[in-house]
Amino acid sequence: MIDATSGRKILLLSLAAGFGLWAVAFVALYAMLSIGCAFGWDRGSLVLGLSLQRLQLLLLLGIFLALHVALVVGLSARQQRSDTATDRFLHSAARLAAIAALAASMFTYCGTVLLTTCNP
Amino acid sequence: MTTAPHEPRVAPPDAPPSALRLHRELSAIWDTPPGWGRLSAVNHTILGKRFIIAAFVFFVIGGLLAMLIRVQLATSGSAFVGPEIYGQIFTMHGTVMMFLFAIPMFEGFAIYLLPKLLGTRDMAFPRLTAYGFWCYVLGGSILVGAMLAGVAPASGWFMYTPLSSSAYTPGISADVWLLGITFVEISALAAAVEIIVTVLKLRAPGMSLDRMPIMAWYLLIVAFMMLFGFPPLILGSILLELERAADLPFFDPTRGGDPLLWQHLFWLFAHPEVYIIFLPAAGAISTILPTFARHELVGYRIIVVAVIAVAFLSFGLWVHHMFTVGIPHLALAFFSAASGLVAIPTAVQIFAWIATLAQGRLRWDVPMLYLAGFFVIFVIGGLTGVMVAMVPFNLQAHDTHFIVAHLHYVLIGGFVFPMMAATYYWLPHFTGRLADHRLSVPAFWLIFGGFNLTFFLMHLTGLLGMPRRVATYAAEAGWDWLNLLSSVGGFVMTAGFALFAADVLMQIRFGKGFRRNPHQARTLEWAMPTPPTPYAFASLPDITDRADRLEPGGLGNRLARGEGYLGFARNRWLETLGVDMVSGRPEQLIVLPGPTRLPLWSGLATCAFVLCLLFKLYLLSLLPLIAVVWLFLGWTAATAAKADLGLLPVGRGRELPPHWEAERPPSWWAMIFTLAGDGTLFLSLVFGALFLWLVAPGWPPGEVVLPAPVPVAGCVAVSVLAAIAGRKAVTVLRAGGSPALWLGLGALMHAATVALLAALAAAVPGPTTHSLHAVTFTLLFYAGLHAGIGLVYAGYCLWRQGGGYLSRRRSLDLRIAALWHDYTAVSTIVALALAVALPLLAVVPETRP
Repeated sequence: MIDATSGRKILLLSLAAGFGLWAVAFVALYAMLSIGCAFGWDRGSLVLGLSLQRLQLLLLLGIFLALHVALVVGLSARQQRSDTATDRFLHSAARLAAIAALAASMFTYCGTVLLTTCNP
Repeated sequence: MTTAPHEPRVAPPDAPPSALRLHRELSAIWDTPPGWGRLSAVNHTILGKRFIIAAFVFFVIGGLLAMLIRVQLATSGSAFVGPEIYGQIFTMHGTVMMFLFAIPMFEGFAIYLLPKLLGTRDMAFPRLTAYGFWCYVLGGSILVGAMLAGVAPASGWFMYTPLSSSAYTPGISADVWLLGITFVEISALAAAVEIIVTVLKLRAPGMSLDRMPIMAWYLLIVAFMMLFGFPPLILGSILLELERAADLPFFDPTRGGDPLLWQHLFWLFAHPEVYIIFLPAAGAISTILPTFARHELVGYRIIVVAVIAVAFLSFGLWVHHMFTVGIPHLALAFFSAASGLVAIPTAVQIFAWIATLAQGRLRWDVPMLYLAGFFVIFVIGGLTGVMVAMVPFNLQAHDTHFIVAHLHYVLIGGFVFPMMAATYYWLPHFTGRLADHRLSVPAFWLIFGGFNLTFFLMHLTGLLGMPRRVATYAAEAGWDWLNLLSSVGGFVMTAGFALFAADVLMQIRFGKGFRRNPHQARTLEWAMPTPPTPYAFASLPDITDRADRLEPGGLGNRLARGEGYLGFARNRWLETLGVDMVSGRPEQLIVLPGPTRLPLWSGLATCAFVLCLLFKLYLLSLLPLIAVVWLFLGWTAATAAKADLGLLPVGRGRELPPHWEAERPPSWWAMIFTLAGDGTLFLSLVFGALFLWLVAPGWPPGEVVLPAPVPVAGCVAVSVLAAIAGRKAVTVLRAGGSPALWLGLGALMHAATVALLAALAAAVPGPTTHSLHAVTFTLLFYAGLHAGIGLVYAGYCLWRQGGGYLSRRRSLDLRIAALWHDYTAVSTIVALALAVALPLLAVVPETRP
């Protein structure tokens, strides 16, 4: 059970949740891309003409975008339960940051769908 | 953190003292002694000024170096200085401006202003402020001293390997940079921890997060960026110094290293660094501009979100400095997209400032003139930033003078112009005097005109193909007239800065006095006498509205009469309040340390250690190292109490525990954030190890040996036992028992961890033969160092137990130590796991060379 004080500290952390997720996605996609390039996962096709490299990156991207959406939905629900001005401010700012981070992820990682992954 | 008499008086005086008597009583407690006693200063007002003055001195040095650069480049085929000296000049120019001017200047402003903006009496750790100052000044002196001795670093401010490796830069010049800058960075990390804890815990009562002045949000976020941004560079510097001093081949491609690892670690720090410099200046703009617009800042909440976005995005751009090195195509797209994206939250701030101006009734004054200069120059720098974020353009402009022009538009536009506006805005606060502004306007036009003449033309020389960092160029290139005009502009700009300095000195010496709040600002720093008293506020305000909507005049008078919290003097304690970090509800009485020379001695001992490493006196370096540890332990000798005090009255009918009896005092949080920075350094090391495995040539090494399983398992077991013992000691103490047994067990387990790790390190086959072995050795050393410090912590806690400093209520020392023991156990397990995994991964065949 989380007491009120701990809950409010988590609220403070939630300001960083959206872009924190963006950063984790960045590290994960960059790392898996590099590993895939080193091990030649971009060669040949595995399913539907897609290489193992493309598939694993798309899977990762899908997971992170889903997490982004879940975060926005969760923060929106919590914002409606805010009972003090400070809570409302923090919830609202965290939700805005999460929406911005979702947009940032879509823009930053959209190249995963089409662009060449590795150097020839 | 505190000096506590054994039988302190807990009650405040029966009758509130008069304002004058309260001032005298508080001054007697908070004043710094005169004469040599000034070396013992720990007060934020004094140290903030010292940081600013020292940073300005380094700015002058960096500026003079820039003049030498412009003399050299004014004409083709110049013989003013040779390439070796020119290398030293441009390297020191960049190094001084980035590390010794920009960051310390913002730190100085933050240290001076932050407690005043937050309505508290000082920073959370005044002795740490002083130690950071001495590290900064002494480290900077090493660099400047090396330059005067002709052995300044000459590999560029980014110190790329292999140019900076011992093969191509023998001697000590590169070591001067690596050790000197790491020494200076102690100051930056200390400031980061201190700013975070101060903003979160030392605000005025009632100042919830949504009521904080916007500058506090900026500084809080920037401090987190420093905490996570500096460790990669510190690690890189340590690894490169290890390569130069001990031949561990982290960056040598012939032995499984990779020069690109240095570039990653450097730019992982250095790109966020640009925003670390810009955002405090943006905080100053967000504070100054509403005052002159006579309208509160538009979009407070959206600006907070935008600054958070900038902070994160700035960590995802570092490879745009490395677009030409051969990164996978898709990764280029990620970094390019993030580089362009960061312009959006930056633009949100600019639009919010424009909206504030549009909503208000502008009062034109000198700070606004300098802010207008900022708008023009920074927007141009931002637009060229978007250009170089695009990979195709970047490939063309890479390493040309176009980049020099861009970075100066961003850094001078984004930092120097706002800081000059801030100087004119807050100088009356520093001095208690108002300017007559006779020189500030011509100074502005000289700087503004000279700057654009210097750097706008560099866009053109860059597009014409002039590379950076060349000492001469051929007349046939056709760059002479542009370079000559750039040099003329540089000297015009310098004349402007000289006029600016003269104007500031004139104001300090001849400015007119004023009563209070000359700009009619609405923030807390003006609710005090100017120049400020050492205790800042005679009593602490109760904040009931956003802290940029206050009436400092009336509030200042009430606080001076002692009508706020802590409006009295007690026990010669330097008192302030600690609050809940979200709501601002007061929760503890914080007693700060008074003047002491310990930070100076600690800084000097650290300097001696650095100098021993610089001159390769490794055995001798153990002496200052022991002195540093002994002095740091000396910081704690006068802290905390030997008796429980319980709740103490703090005024306005409230009673709170002293911080050493509180559950979450500032020092507990400081340990959390210190470990976060330490963890970032460790993660950077893990990244480095995996990067070398994946990318570096020459893997696998000829000899791959797995660490022996029994010592590895034993090491995991004893490090976990040390952490358990640390936790049990806290539990037993809080239950009323003696923790000595558990503390002794913890010490024993840490000693065993050190011994086992030493045995494992000794079994690493030839750390100089391949980067795999070098990395394994370094991982084990990192874990061993932490276990060694854990041993010191356990011994310290035993000493505190024996001295009677611990009780059920006074368990803080043990709880802080327990955090260290926990972190040590986790990092040891990860280090050992990686030491086992790397040899296994090394032999997995890669299909692409």
